[in-house]
Amino acid sequence: MSHQLQAIIAEVTHRCPLHCVYCSNPLEMQRRDAELSTEDWTAVFSQAAAMGGLHLHLTGGEPLARADLTELVQAGRSAHLYVNLITSGVGLDERRLDALIGAGLDHIQLSFQDVEEGPANEFAGTRSHAVKLRIAKMIRQRRVAFTLNMVVHRRNLGRLAEMIAFAAETGAQRLEIAHVQYYGWALRNRDALLPSREQVRQSIAIVEAARARLKGRLRIDFVLPDYYAKYPKPCMSGWGHQQMLIDPAGRALPCHAAGVIPGLEFANVKEQSLRSIWEDSPAFNRFRGEGWMPEPCRTCDRRARDFGGCRCQAFLLSGDATATDPVCTLAPAHAMVEDVLRRVNRSSESENGEWVYRVDSK
Amino acid sequence: MSDIARDRILRLAPGCRLNSVPGQEDVLLIPEGAMQARGPARTIIALCDGTRTFDALIEELKSLYPTADPARIESETAALLTQLRDRGVLEYG
Repeated sequence: MSHQLQAIIAEVTHRCPLHCVYCSNPLEMQRRDAELSTEDWTAVFSQAAAMGGLHLHLTGGEPLARADLTELVQAGRSAHLYVNLITSGVGLDERRLDALIGAGLDHIQLSFQDVEEGPANEFAGTRSHAVKLRIAKMIRQRRVAFTLNMVVHRRNLGRLAEMIAFAAETGAQRLEIAHVQYYGWALRNRDALLPSREQVRQSIAIVEAARARLKGRLRIDFVLPDYYAKYPKPCMSGWGHQQMLIDPAGRALPCHAAGVIPGLEFANVKEQSLRSIWEDSPAFNRFRGEGWMPEPCRTCDRRARDFGGCRCQAFLLSGDATATDPVCTLAPAHAMVEDVLRRVNRSSESENGEWVYRVDSK
Repeated sequence: MSDIARDRILRLAPGCRLNSVPGQEDVLLIPEGAMQARGPARTIIALCDGTRTFDALIEELKSLYPTADPARIESETAALLTQLRDRGVLEYG
């Protein structure tokens, strides 16, 4: 089968105490009063498990903003899912952490905005770094898998070596060095966030050296920013191939950004079963297979590997969701990515571009 | 040759566990995905439960698989454990 559900990404809320300049949530967020109930989520998790789903990623916004998070973890585990919490840590204390682990939480992914407090708080638009340091210590004292996620971009990539050293000290098993991806709010701030070619080049050498040095102690995941790659990323391992995202109000999407693509209607898990959405909904079937592909994807020997890249990025950059992802060097629309790269490589890395903070109505 | 020590207690690392769903094949769930676990591999993984050393594990396997070649049990178990350790699945030492 070309599509087998592996993971459910549950955006349990869009509420968040952070206001990151690269926030990946949609520009239009779901409101609190529209959020699914504990029972709604519980039903989603058991349907996902029955379809052969294995992993549950609880994300947001900040999942800790939900008072019933422990029950959601419990519901995921009861459904035999592997439960991962993707969090800023804000809202966590010893008691709550113990309750989450007691409920069966398998893995915590704690995000950091930087290794230095000043810039970290600046990027997050809130004073959260000191809290995160305390939370990291709390996590490592307990028996739960711990991944530290460091978001990198133009303004902090120069501190990559320090970030890696910091991650190793926290006792995390894994470090995910996550380049900002240009969707949602991050696209608005792209020119201030995109690293220079030289920064990217240096970062590769730093990561390679660190991987060798820390082998057996800290695993490092690092993917080049796709604007600098030769070929696009295999976004979501293919549209509707392995993952399903449920937004706070229950809309089922093939990925977190799919809402930007015009003409797609997303069914709601309150009204339709997960299986029928996964198998039969036009939105999930829209970019499955190869029938939708344009040239050069249609005849490209990489088409089964990267699926023509990201549909959302294709739309955001070229206005056409069926186009080859413009970051691909073979894409007809690639010139616009080169224009962006020329622009950001002309200005100095130390120049602080203007950016806009996310402010949302509650 | 494997460098798995004989006298250290074996157990799965935090965030790694065997998942048994009625009606489905068992899988080893890990933070980034899942690994198939069937047959003797499943048995070995299940026995890495924090109660026995490599030596004790081998003894256990010999009694579970009395007709298998003991040398082969040992070499294949060591190979699997090395693979698990390198993927961060096995807590070790």
